[in-house]
Amino acid sequence: MAKEFNVPPVVFPTSSSTPAAVPHQRRATPAPSAPPFQPPRPATSTALPFMSFDIGAAPAPSSFSAPSFPSAASGSFSSFDEEPPLLEELGINTRQIWLKTTSILNPIRVNPNIHEDADLSGPFIFLMAFGLFQLLAGKFHFGIILGWVTVASLFLYVVFNMLAGRNGNLDLYRCLSLVGYCMLPMVIFSAVSLFVPHDGVVIFAMAAVFVLWSTRICTRLLVELASCGEEHRGLIAYACWLVYLLFSLLVIF
Amino acid sequence: MNDNIGNPAGIQRPHPPGPFGNAFYGTGSGIIRGGLGAYGERFLGSSSEFMQSNISQHLSDSQYYFQVNGQYVRNKLKVILLPFLHRGHWTRITEPVGGRLSYKPPVHDINAPDLYIPFMAFGTYVVLAGFMLGVLGRFTPEALSLQFTKGLAGWFFQILLLKGLLYSLGSGEAPLLDVVAYTGYAFTGMSVAVFARIFWNYSYYFLLPWICVCMGIFLVKTMKRVLLGGTRSYEKHTNRHHYLLLFMAAAQFPWFFWLGNVGA
Repeated sequence: MAKEFNVPPVVFPTSSSTPAAVPHQRRATPAPSAPPFQPPRPATSTALPFMSFDIGAAPAPSSFSAPSFPSAASGSFSSFDEEPPLLEELGINTRQIWLKTTSILNPIRVNPNIHEDADLSGPFIFLMAFGLFQLLAGKFHFGIILGWVTVASLFLYVVFNMLAGRNGNLDLYRCLSLVGYCMLPMVIFSAVSLFVPHDGVVIFAMAAVFVLWSTRICTRLLVELASCGEEHRGLIAYACWLVYLLFSLLVIF
Repeated sequence: MNDNIGNPAGIQRPHPPGPFGNAFYGTGSGIIRGGLGAYGERFLGSSSEFMQSNISQHLSDSQYYFQVNGQYVRNKLKVILLPFLHRGHWTRITEPVGGRLSYKPPVHDINAPDLYIPFMAFGTYVVLAGFMLGVLGRFTPEALSLQFTKGLAGWFFQILLLKGLLYSLGSGEAPLLDVVAYTGYAFTGMSVAVFARIFWNYSYYFLLPWICVCMGIFLVKTMKRVLLGGTRSYEKHTNRHHYLLLFMAAAQFPWFFWLGNVGA
């Protein structure tokens, strides 16, 4: 004889019902209050009923996340709008770099106030340009320039602070910045020396001029920015002169 | 905003007396103590205190050696390069400071050693060696670095030699930085010789013995005063002293020839 199983009716959940109601309805008695199979209410979804859980479910999570996504998108959009420009965030103040560069181009009058706050992006540009001009001359000196600039500024830092004694307040960052900025005449020398024969007197004369230019500016800036007595000016000048003579060696030979 | 990028290598100003009870405030020792303090904790742990006190003891008064001015430098160069023209005495002037006798700083005393001239002379020697290499057509930055290292090694060897000599003659407590200064003065004569060699190769061969003789005289006269100041008993001032001093002067010759052999 056929046994009658008490199979509860399967109810496809519509979008209006919560997912928790689905098992509840499955455990319910075979006589639910509402007829088990119902066509979906047209107001809720327009999809076919047996696909309703997908379609019903699909917009549901998206509807849950949709409020957050536009807000997240709009939140990141608004914070993206509010972000400072990249150069400012990196601390590269191009206007100040330009001011400092043009102040060095004048070997007669030096304005030390512009160089009051040190930065390393100007020196970086100058050193890259120096390496580039050396590369045009066929010499690959990037690593050597980096190493020599470090050693030279360390040397200058030690000598300056020892000479200045108790009131020496040059710090390594500012020393490196000044040495790098005063490298501008050497960069110009490197560019000009591409067009001059290397065997003559001309290049040595040019080297003398540019090295003296660099030395003069570097000494003026060092003495006026970091406190040092007037009687040590010649001693500091000799140290700077040695440093820039070293770099002129790279250009000449 | 630009100056907030950081002061990554800024060395702090010297600290007030710390747990070691040392009381030097000079910038030089501030650099040394700051540097050692930063690394001593990391590498040496409990022995950092021992290291710091020992190194500080040797390098403590480096500020003294940099109290120079332009006039001192000019006169001292004349004394080094032409020592027989120095009419005055060769002893260092002492002054009582805090109950102990200490020497006057180089600004006030032409006979006091300083470290500015040796450093600058070494730098000059390296740059001039670079020019010499360039004139010979053999300049590469690696060759210059090699010359730099050679000079440094030779300087170190001379320091060992002089210190050993002083120790064997009984005045081994001469400060290390004094010995560094005396041996570093050789680079001034060396720079002059290399400078002349750039222009005319043969000038080197009669300039160099002259420089060696001058340096020998300078060292002998200085060391005599150092030994006189250091020895306790007076009767040791005998032949042994003189022979060793002469040996010191003679040892200048090979060293100068080795240094001057740039690019060969």
